[in-house]
Amino acid sequence: MAGLELQHIEKTFGRTRVLHDVSFEVGDGKFFVLLGPSGCGKSTLLRIIAGLEPQTRGSVHIGGRCVDDVSSPDRDIAMVFQHYALYPHLTVRENLAFGLKMRREPKPVIEARIAETSTLLEIHDLLGRKPRELSGGQQQRVAMGRAIVRKPTLFLFDEPLSNLDARLRTSMRVELKKLHRRLGTTMVYVTHDQAEAMTLGHTIAVMNRGRIQQIGRPEQIYHEPANPFVAGFIGNPPMNLFDGSFRLDQRDLEFRAGDLTLRVPFQTHDRRGRPPCRPECADSGSATLGIRPEDVTFDLPGSQHVTIAGTIDLIENLGGDAVVYLIVQGQPLVARTSPLPTLRAGDSVTAHWPMDKLHLFINEQRVPLPSL
Amino acid sequence: MMHRPVLLGGILLAVLGSLCPFLWFVLTSFKSQIQVEAIPPTWWPDGSLVFYASALFEHRLLHYVRNSVTVAGSTTVIALVIATPAAYALARLRLPGKTWVLGGLLCVAMFPPIVIAGPVWQILERFGGLNTHWGLVLPYVSLTLPLAVWILTTFFHELPVELEEAARIDGCTTWQALYKIMLPLAAPGLFTAAILTFIYAWNEFFFALLILTDPEQQTLPVGIALFQGEFIMPWGEIAAASVIATLPLIILVLLFQRGIINGLSAGAVKG
Repeated sequence: MAGLELQHIEKTFGRTRVLHDVSFEVGDGKFFVLLGPSGCGKSTLLRIIAGLEPQTRGSVHIGGRCVDDVSSPDRDIAMVFQHYALYPHLTVRENLAFGLKMRREPKPVIEARIAETSTLLEIHDLLGRKPRELSGGQQQRVAMGRAIVRKPTLFLFDEPLSNLDARLRTSMRVELKKLHRRLGTTMVYVTHDQAEAMTLGHTIAVMNRGRIQQIGRPEQIYHEPANPFVAGFIGNPPMNLFDGSFRLDQRDLEFRAGDLTLRVPFQTHDRRGRPPCRPECADSGSATLGIRPEDVTFDLPGSQHVTIAGTIDLIENLGGDAVVYLIVQGQPLVARTSPLPTLRAGDSVTAHWPMDKLHLFINEQRVPLPSL
Repeated sequence: MMHRPVLLGGILLAVLGSLCPFLWFVLTSFKSQIQVEAIPPTWWPDGSLVFYASALFEHRLLHYVRNSVTVAGSTTVIALVIATPAAYALARLRLPGKTWVLGGLLCVAMFPPIVIAGPVWQILERFGGLNTHWGLVLPYVSLTLPLAVWILTTFFHELPVELEEAARIDGCTTWQALYKIMLPLAAPGLFTAAILTFIYAWNEFFFALLILTDPEQQTLPVGIALFQGEFIMPWGEIAAASVIATLPLIILVLLFQRGIINGLSAGAVKG
């Protein structure tokens, strides 16, 4: 087992730079998720770690060893591909054995490993079959098995669940998590699915346009997004983001976006009796204000709440909860609440949210609001 | 459904049309000399094997068969051994001027043989290649390579790159990935290229006639063509020899048909 460290990785294809100075460290045995929209460079990064693609600059260390001059076969890694890439002319057993044979493991060892792996993944009934005789889920298991059977120091997953239907994806996600707990091997997992990222990762790196946007624990990424991109990418439905301008005075931060005006008081309510403090930023400028749909409610407001009047545009009832699309002071606002049987489209409502749930971004950077 | 009879009729017509000359030869090969020369011609042969015996023993047909097997076999093997890595490289690697190479190959394949006959003859004479099998195999290889490379490039191109990368990660060198994973999957393409190359070399007449003047070295088409004496045209023997010459091709195609049709790469990638 081993950790992974990337130092200042850059990658250009022709004149296009697809990775900008990517650095991070993955601790031994950790589950690390690279999350981002398609085309953000996450798969390229994974391929660089795998040695399938050379980086233009920077270096990759696996288990403390620099592997820049080590080719894929010798990096002691295993990779699960998006399209599984099972060898179609070989049976499941031969697929599992292939990597071990290439490494000249003795036959009894190969047999024992196959038995162990197929029991773990419950694929022993499939060993005699060819990949084309398997269902999507079974192929997925075999692909996973082919990676596990070699006992590599590092696992790489390239969107391994994206070809499965929604139900299977959820159950495989759970199994993958259990698998990681049992194996305890370092895993790097690429996905564009935030639910996978949030549930699987110890650490998530959110990527966009070839840059790491934020690295952190799932709850950090969710509760303290570093910039508007991360804020908008994580969460379902995505965070409400208002682009506008702000002005600080003695007591409040006043935020304007079109017709929408919000006052965020930050000095009057210092609960612990500490001296008043202000956000560390200039007195005025452009800013982005964010609020998660799940933090917007229509119940009676508490004293620390922002209150805002609006009209309901559309309600999507999802059964367990409902997504409400509102227009507040000319701006769209999305709320996710428990179902509201009394509300209809066209109704006027008062939406509100706790002050401390507001996210403020100035110059694309998160500005922590002083505790209220 | 209304088109069905029309379609069937069309298929029948096409099959009959292309098989007709061959059928006539098969029928002729089993006739006797009297039947061959009968006017009006008789349709149904009396099943005589005289022409076969004569072709095999008097005209030493098996000797030509052996020469043809050697020439066509070596041509196929050498052409594929060269074409496979070439096609793999053209399909996979980021090479500058790749399209030019492929286009160039296609252009080369379009030259009529007569254009290069003179130079080929001179080169072979210079290096002592006239009247040798390698002297014939050499031009055959260069003439069949473009087609083989094209066919194989298409096949390699369609195989998912992920498979190769999986093989790399599983510990294969590029060459191991090629012959352990990619070649078995490109088998239908290999069969197709092999058969087309073999058929070309087996049937080729022009260069064979030009380069091989020694009956000891001559291949089937030349051998059969030279059955003709000064005053006689041994139709029956030629027919029998042609049937024998065609049989290996038919057997080959039937044998490899399964390999060609088998969609070996099905299931490689989901979807």
